[in-house]
Amino acid sequence: MKLNELEKNAKKEIEQSVCVDELEKVRIRYLGRKCELTRILHSIGDLPMEERPKFGRVVNKLKNELEGLIEKKKRALEKSKTLPWADLSLPGRRPFIGNLHPLTILYQEIINVFIEMGFSIVFGPEIETEYYNFTALNTPPDHPARDMQDTFYLKDGRLLRTQTSPVQIRTLEKHAPPLRIISPGRCYRVDTFDPLHSPAFMQIEGLWVDRDVSMADLFGTLKIFTRKIFGEETIIEFLPSYFPFTEPSADLWIQCPFCRGIGCTVCKKKGRIETLGCGMVHPNILKNMGYPEFTGFAFGIGLERIAMIKYNINDMRLFYQNDLKFLRQFNESKL
Amino acid sequence: MRVNYNWLTEWVDIDLEPYDLADMLDHLGIEVEELDITANDAIFTLEITPNRPDLISVQGLAREIAAKTDKKLKKVIDYQIPEEHAQNKEFALAVTTESKEDCARYIASIIHEIEIRPSPPIISERLEKCGIRSINNIIDITNYVLLEVGHPLHAFDYNKIGKEIIVRRAKNGETIKTLEGEEKELTNLDIVIADNKKPIAIAGVIGGEESGVSETSRTIVLESAYFNPTLVRYTSKRLKLSTESSYRFERKADIGMLKNASAYAIYLLKEYANGKLVGKVIDTNPSPYIHKEVSFSYEKVNRLLGKDVKKEEVDRIFNKLSLQKRGNDNHPKILIPSFRRDIEIMEDLAEEIGRFIGYDNIEATFGYRSENPISLEGKEILAVKKIMPSLGFYEAMNIPFIECSWAEIQDKNPIELKNPLWSDKSILRTTLLPSLISSIKRNLNSGEERVAIFEVGRIFTLDDGEEEMIAATLAGEIPPNWYEEKHPIDFYDLKGIVVTLLEKLNIQEYKFSGCKDSLFKEERALSLLINTETIGCFGLLSQDVCKVDIYGVEFNLQKLLSGSTKRIKFGGTYRYPPVKRDLSIVIDEGKPYEDFKNAIKDAVVNDVQIELIDIYKNSSVGKNKKSLTFRLELYHPEKTLTDEEIEEDMENVIKKLSKLGAHLRK
Ligand SMILES: [Zn+2]
Repeated sequence: MKLNELEKNAKKEIEQSVCVDELEKVRIRYLGRKCELTRILHSIGDLPMEERPKFGRVVNKLKNELEGLIEKKKRALEKSKTLPWADLSLPGRRPFIGNLHPLTILYQEIINVFIEMGFSIVFGPEIETEYYNFTALNTPPDHPARDMQDTFYLKDGRLLRTQTSPVQIRTLEKHAPPLRIISPGRCYRVDTFDPLHSPAFMQIEGLWVDRDVSMADLFGTLKIFTRKIFGEETIIEFLPSYFPFTEPSADLWIQCPFCRGIGCTVCKKKGRIETLGCGMVHPNILKNMGYPEFTGFAFGIGLERIAMIKYNINDMRLFYQNDLKFLRQFNESKL
Repeated sequence: MRVNYNWLTEWVDIDLEPYDLADMLDHLGIEVEELDITANDAIFTLEITPNRPDLISVQGLAREIAAKTDKKLKKVIDYQIPEEHAQNKEFALAVTTESKEDCARYIASIIHEIEIRPSPPIISERLEKCGIRSINNIIDITNYVLLEVGHPLHAFDYNKIGKEIIVRRAKNGETIKTLEGEEKELTNLDIVIADNKKPIAIAGVIGGEESGVSETSRTIVLESAYFNPTLVRYTSKRLKLSTESSYRFERKADIGMLKNASAYAIYLLKEYANGKLVGKVIDTNPSPYIHKEVSFSYEKVNRLLGKDVKKEEVDRIFNKLSLQKRGNDNHPKILIPSFRRDIEIMEDLAEEIGRFIGYDNIEATFGYRSENPISLEGKEILAVKKIMPSLGFYEAMNIPFIECSWAEIQDKNPIELKNPLWSDKSILRTTLLPSLISSIKRNLNSGEERVAIFEVGRIFTLDDGEEEMIAATLAGEIPPNWYEEKHPIDFYDLKGIVVTLLEKLNIQEYKFSGCKDSLFKEERALSLLINTETIGCFGLLSQDVCKVDIYGVEFNLQKLLSGSTKRIKFGGTYRYPPVKRDLSIVIDEGKPYEDFKNAIKDAVVNDVQIELIDIYKNSSVGKNKKSLTFRLELYHPEKTLTDEEIEEDMENVIKKLSKLGAHLRK
């Protein structure tokens, strides 16, 4: 066989191979030990001396070229190698993965906002005394404001905290201002268990004490908070309110996310929803703690309430019924 | 409280539609809870904060609206008690107040020849709109005055009481039958109005049935008084009697209003009941001390608000609120009117300024000037919480009240509630498991096949106080699938989860031991020990009431985390491939796997990973015998093991195992 004819045939057969096995046969035929090319190479002895080197180079070049083509074709064939048919529409094998509770997800989101703003997180006991829960917070026993917080008492005379503010007092006992703390945790009030109330609930309170802290600082801090939690375009408003432990006091309202401020049944046609209470720490409290020269502000966030607004949940009991159909819906990857 | 729009417009011109008025009230801190628009009126349901008793009246609200809208009040309650009333010896009455602390002032007027009949529509309709039932003209007039000017009045039937009124403390055990027909037992912390025989009213709270106005009354005694707010509140709370009257007294009614309220009622009684004032009006304290001043500083208040409010603006607001400035501008004092008892300190005045300029006009700022000395707490708890979903658990939250029977089962001293919300759940939880069990059952009943939930929260006992716990429950079955048959969840599912949790928390030094916790079924539960301290138990829950198999775990979170090694040690990665050998042995059925696993570990010189890959029970193995198949992966960090080295290890293993009574399976 002539060399150029061999080259043409080999290239054609390589090209036309449809599987790796067939290609291997082609390889053996043309490049194997007993193959055409070897035979031709061996016939070099028949040539005149002066033509031999040139002929050798040409044959080796062809050999290398064919090897390269086979290798390339092999890779191409392997890539397109067919597997037995499988029903890819079958469901996959899924691991069991749960979720964090929506209140935990939101809790973490809120806490992170305040950590970024330079607050520290401090915890305290859920069982408290009259002193820490009320008296130290400017709410003596005969104060009508006590009606705002119907209290669970224990048989031994202690009580379940109605707010996490006792942590503020406990912190001020240990640390002199300036300071910025967030005290989160469970609180209790004698309330029926209904769509809008729960006898136990989560609160996140903040306290900032420094020289000349003002209402403008309070509003600024909470403005950042609401924008981070409800979105940058959230419209907020502060309205006057009353709490015995703050003076002046305010409620933060956000534009009703359900009607965008037009007025609906959720917001009772107000166009805004009451979101949290806040105010300047009552001077009596700072005076009693021994820091009359300081001012401060405090705020209390009801976690369930924020979650209800944010996730559009209309029944607070859902947070405490642990229905998997409810819990499955909270895939938050922001943590 | 409820108030109607038209009544307000009688007091002040309102240029605002009801909705806009509601919005304005909201912005003054007077929250409109509901607005009910009727054909030619509107009814506002207001939530008045406890510091503002003055706003629980038409007059007070009108005053606030007038101040905000720069209007003058159209109506002023300024009636005089007529001086030229008939002197009539027939109507004698004496009033004694035992303590000025309890009753700072008491005004009593006798009105004769009253005609009891239904009220005219102007009165009855307004009462109904404001949520008070119309009874008869006398009772209605006292209520009408209460609503309009905010001061509670009371009417006695003159002929049913002795000719002496004594305001005194009740004697312990003294009783009175109230207007509502209920017999109440009193203590010496209650103030009563008494005649020379017995109590005829509970001061500031409710009248007595016997002394009350009835269809046959001809002469009445009209009471306008001021009672100690703390005591009224105490009595109202103790007797669970909250009335329109007690609501206002306990919030500090306006002591400056007593005489006006009396005179206004006398005027209305003449107008609508034909009543004539007779005898001398008795007033125990005609000029009570109502003067109050608060120091003020323009500069300090601006610093507190974070806004530069001009002096003229402040003065203008004070003027509108009837707050009079005394002294020079450097150290001014503000004279507070008697109806604003809530203003006690400069910060209260700051709030008034804030309210009237509007909080919207305080520009929000942010920036801190000092470092924060407090460190961050609670990161670990969240770290634990985050592991659980990856193990297949959903996070649950429960109200921490449970039945006291649980504490009995656990033999723990529970903390009992004095006023539980649910009478059967009267203690604070001593374990997280009961509520999780309920949640599991509810989910199974609603058709869930596999339920896995966990909770992190506190438990409470008298002995250990508050402890942060983590608990999880697991029940149901792994549902059938195209790749696997259904099978019930069992102990080993839970054990695997517990071990993975320990691994993820980087807890390396721990032990399992028998479980003595009565919440668990002993034969299917283990306890976890770290540094010889029991952290908690896991396994099958023993509650007979469960009916279904529920697996549970409860660990003390702080103790658990104490076993966590903070620093991760990196031990390199093995570059030399391990050699795998399977080994089947036959042992007595009752012997624990772990003994044999440990024996293998001890016997091998090289590093080894041991997996149990099969358990086999069959007659071919022998009666009361079982076969275990271990897969050993032997390796060396620095070289590939030779056949000889492997054989040597395997021989040692077989020797050691046969000492334990195991023999190789053929
Ligand atoms: Zn709305």
